[in-house]
Amino acid sequence: MSLEIEHVEKLYKIVSTQTVIHALNGVDISLPTGKTLGIVGESGCGKSTLARLVTGLEAPNKGNIRWNGSPIHNVNKGSFSTKKSVVQLVFQDPYSSLNPRQRIGAAISEIITVHKLVEKEHIDSRVSELLALVGLADDLKNRYPHQLSGGQRQRVSIARALAAEPNLLVLDEPVSALDVSVRAEVMNLLIDLREKLGLTYIFISHDLAMIRYISDFVAVMYLGKIVEFGNWEQVINDPKHPYTQALINAMPDHTVIGNPESLAKTLQGEVPDPVNLPTGCAFHLRCVKATPACTLVSQTLIEISPNHQVACMEAKA
Amino acid sequence: MSQQPLLSVTNLGISTVQDPRTLVNNVSFDINPGEAVGVVGESGSGKTLSALSILGLLPRGVGVVSGEILFNGKNLLTLKPEELRQIRGNKIAMIYQDPMTALNPVMKLGKQLLEVIASHDGINEQSDDRVRALLSEVGIPDVNRAMESYAHEFSGGMRQRIMIAMALLLSPKLLIADEPTTALDVTIQQQILALVSDARKKRDMSMLWITHDLGVVANLVNRLNVMYAGRIVESGTVEEIFRRPKHPYTAGLLSSLPTSTGTNRERLTSISGVPEKPWLVGNSCGFAARCSRAQSRCHNEIPLSVVKDDSTVACFFPLGSK
Repeated sequence: MSLEIEHVEKLYKIVSTQTVIHALNGVDISLPTGKTLGIVGESGCGKSTLARLVTGLEAPNKGNIRWNGSPIHNVNKGSFSTKKSVVQLVFQDPYSSLNPRQRIGAAISEIITVHKLVEKEHIDSRVSELLALVGLADDLKNRYPHQLSGGQRQRVSIARALAAEPNLLVLDEPVSALDVSVRAEVMNLLIDLREKLGLTYIFISHDLAMIRYISDFVAVMYLGKIVEFGNWEQVINDPKHPYTQALINAMPDHTVIGNPESLAKTLQGEVPDPVNLPTGCAFHLRCVKATPACTLVSQTLIEISPNHQVACMEAKA
Repeated sequence: MSQQPLLSVTNLGISTVQDPRTLVNNVSFDINPGEAVGVVGESGSGKTLSALSILGLLPRGVGVVSGEILFNGKNLLTLKPEELRQIRGNKIAMIYQDPMTALNPVMKLGKQLLEVIASHDGINEQSDDRVRALLSEVGIPDVNRAMESYAHEFSGGMRQRIMIAMALLLSPKLLIADEPTTALDVTIQQQILALVSDARKKRDMSMLWITHDLGVVANLVNRLNVMYAGRIVESGTVEEIFRRPKHPYTAGLLSSLPTSTGTNRERLTSISGVPEKPWLVGNSCGFAARCSRAQSRCHNEIPLSVVKDDSTVACFFPLGSK
């Protein structure tokens, strides 16, 4: 019982410039059901592309994505209008992901109707059940999205995803657009739902603190590859890849204060262009530990301690 | 501190013009020469409007209804447009959240930067060197090429560096920064924070940094104002506010943040409810409806800022009291 992502590659061809963007360059992940995988990385690292592939919105150029042994694309397509869907996606921005002219109740019941999950006469009570599940009052059914706060809208988006009775929820930056004081409530809700419904999560974020808080496993991505993978304690408390170390160092941390020097230990340079990938290790241009060998050879993930994999020649257990 | 503050905002009130709705209420704070002050608040707390009012840049339909903003002793609110233009950009510069919309997309950067000098000091033979020196100070790699390039040819981080160069061109006394790193990746954000921090110290420039992220200002500013529902609810040194928050909102905000170290799977402490609209607060504490310490007085009376040592708190029942 697991999600298997095997050697997945995704390219985007740009017709006008005759170039190719290498969005994903060979990604392997195995995630047991009921667990949460946190994926962290900066813009352009391929984390949202991976989300689109896992949800079946796009197909990979190479490789397979399987849920309990069956290819996820067939699973999702075949069952699209008949029964439950295996995987659902929650987007970052609850302002643009809800139809502004559709009442909340209709937005949720639409999913139930499309998937033919409940008899017609029970749809309304199922909508009530879903609203209660995400902690919203029943009278919100008749409201429009603009009458709701950001936190309430994100709860509606979660309720819509759950309406299709998925096993796997892909959460793409689900709290980044919310005010700081309401983020905690949505995070707590996600944790409660995971336990109540036995859901498997892929939680995508650029915020390592949120990743640390919710994840069982953490994958750090850089330029379309996983550079470090392990359980959350290994990756966050004992990072081995120089990029993970830099990322953790760059997290704004409100527990370290009045220390301007902490800003100086910063990673130099920017993420290279995914059209012209650097030779060797994609990180060597910004890496403080890079050796001449790093400019030539790209290190694949190697296990440096049980379950802790790092794609770096210089990494030691 | 007995020195004359560089900027002194007193009892600032901002409201919509038609169908008056209060957006900012009774805001007062000082910025001393060379001091960096942070403003933290959530969307709708009034942090950006307060900053925009300093430069006379409030959007149409919104106006200052009370208070004064003294810059070097001069009230900016009563200046003629021409006098304000002399200060804006020259003495007080601003950088914004989105550098793409702040730069002209169809003008080469060199020309755009020179235009800033032209409109204030006038162009002379040193102007070009001044622009080049600043571009290289902010870390633009190929300055000659950059002068001939357009904004879209740069990454978000590089564009923000260019905005910073533009803001520093006329050696302002005060830099106002409205969430300039929010749209950037964390490693780039850290580069920009380090850059601004260095540039500020080198010039002994004052700074007002607006953000919703407490982690960003922790190592950047000296003092912090926390805004909620259009008011400053707490102010003090960074040390004081982070280690010993007195307002229940500040304390709640700090404890709701997941930290980057420690265990996981414990529930985050959350503040229930949503931020109140400033114009709906009326005769009460704006935070009362979400506050666990609130008593009947909090719902019927506006708590005024109480000054103690170097900090203020607007709460009837602050933490650390009985």
